[in-house]
Amino acid sequence: MKSRVILSVLARFVTVLILVTFAITFLVRILPGDPVSTLIPFATEEQRAELSAELGLDVNILQYYMRWLGDFVSGDLGNYYASTGDGGGVSVSAMLGETLPRSILLMVYVMLFSLILSIPLGIFMAYRAESRADRTISNALFGLASIPNFAIGLGLAFVVGVKLNWLPVLGYVPLTESASEHFRSMVLPTLSLSVGLVATFSRLLRVDTIATLKEDFVTMASSKGLTNSWILWRHVFRPSSTTLLTSAALNMGSLIGGAVIIETVFALNGFGMLLTASIATRQYLAIQSLVALVAVFFMLFNLLVDLLYAVVDPRVASHRGA
Amino acid sequence: MARNNRQPVGLYLASGWMALCVLAAIFGDLLPLPKWDDYDFENLAAPVFTPGHILGTDYDGYDVLSGIIHGARTSLGIAVTAVLLGALIGGALGIIAAYRRGWVDSVLSMYFNVSLAIPTIVLTLVLVAVFSSADIENPSGSLPRELILIVSLTFVVIPVLGRIARASALTWTGRDFVLVAESIGMKRRSILLTHIVPNVLPSLMSIGFLAAGVVIVVEGGLAILGVGTNPGASWGSMLAKNRGELSIIPHTTLIPAAVIALTVMALNYFGDYVRLRIDDRESRI
Repeated sequence: MKSRVILSVLARFVTVLILVTFAITFLVRILPGDPVSTLIPFATEEQRAELSAELGLDVNILQYYMRWLGDFVSGDLGNYYASTGDGGGVSVSAMLGETLPRSILLMVYVMLFSLILSIPLGIFMAYRAESRADRTISNALFGLASIPNFAIGLGLAFVVGVKLNWLPVLGYVPLTESASEHFRSMVLPTLSLSVGLVATFSRLLRVDTIATLKEDFVTMASSKGLTNSWILWRHVFRPSSTTLLTSAALNMGSLIGGAVIIETVFALNGFGMLLTASIATRQYLAIQSLVALVAVFFMLFNLLVDLLYAVVDPRVASHRGA
Repeated sequence: MARNNRQPVGLYLASGWMALCVLAAIFGDLLPLPKWDDYDFENLAAPVFTPGHILGTDYDGYDVLSGIIHGARTSLGIAVTAVLLGALIGGALGIIAAYRRGWVDSVLSMYFNVSLAIPTIVLTLVLVAVFSSADIENPSGSLPRELILIVSLTFVVIPVLGRIARASALTWTGRDFVLVAESIGMKRRSILLTHIVPNVLPSLMSIGFLAAGVVIVVEGGLAILGVGTNPGASWGSMLAKNRGELSIIPHTTLIPAAVIALTVMALNYFGDYVRLRIDDRESRI
């Protein structure tokens, strides 16, 4: 890719980022209920004005946004509001340090598990395209892709957790405390979020692989006498995986949302709990920083995948650069 | 293709299920069943096939079957309204963006991109909070919960359908018949209405079915997070209300979960079916 292309991609990224964070600021500022009267409901006018100034709420939205953006960019996510003023509350970063690793680990497990399962599955289905096995799996996957993750989660919790009593259905165990208990507590949440992704990924990979299998270089490779598995993994998989990558990036948004819900179902007390609790208690600054963080993470992930294209499929880079 | 072989059976199953749900939503009140929020103190937490309560009751003595039927009205009502409004507004914005191009397109596309940069559930959570009452003591004080959900979900659906409509309209504005229409001096408005809109509608419809499924799932997710409709009023809030009792009265959670899953499956099937039909049609044009 030429540097001009990269620059324009980055410029658009920054523009959307600024607009998204401003939109979030706007939404949060028009949230009904104001933090000052929640914190000190029986205070005098002067006390209210004082606290409002201390929390940085007495300025107009543009000034408020600029101040927040400066802090956010320098890594300061702000503090939870407390009646003692801005410095009195717990810092948002400290709360994140507690909850975020749980959510990130969950999403990493889900992505790894889904890719490990769907790549061989998709390639197998493409290799055996239109066979009875392919049709059966395709139909089953279509059904599985449609089941909401919380329905899968509740079903698994009932069968595996309650009936068979194999795995815990509530609570989180940190990795540092006990590795085996940690993985046991993460199996059901991971499975709940993976089923839909496996179905989506392997169906996409199947379609792309079928298309790649029709290309001349595959005929060429097989006429050279290379084995089928060598051709599939060495020649076919890479060019077939670009849609899979896009889909992984696009699904990141629903994965974040899914994680928020599944964390609640299995009481993992991760990022989702932090966000819903902050919204329920009208913690403007915390909500703003948390939602902005999600948006930044989601957009960065998409940007990364855009840039990764060129690595996976050199044809993309030469087309774009030309 | 494999798809063609399974179409009839799948289509009958999906249509049958959706017809059942729609009929239940419209005529549910005429059935000789207990009201969905009637306490039956004689039968608390009754299992399935209890006389008088075919699908059992929950720990409040609410009849599960009545709840499902009443929930069909709430869940489908929210989904259909949000998607129709979203399709109307999003579709119009998308088509205008594609046809006018220039700064109008830039502004609208930026709006779509900005909205889509926040994951659906997170955006809906914030929007629901924005439209909810300020009074923490009485969160359902101002607008009915259903209305808040519909408005929030409409805002979420607009950019999704808007982007689809824009992309679809772009492929049509370049076609020869549009060029011909322009060159013979047809008015822009009538070109839009007679040539662009009818061609964009099918893809909007295909994604609309998928979006309706997403809305039902998001509504269920919001209920689990504690910001859904009143307890037991929709499918999502039925399972959210009862999921704590999964080990004692599993049917009160698993039945609404299964109903949601079947409905989303049927909606996805319709979406897929419409898309295949469009592909067929376009390959013939």
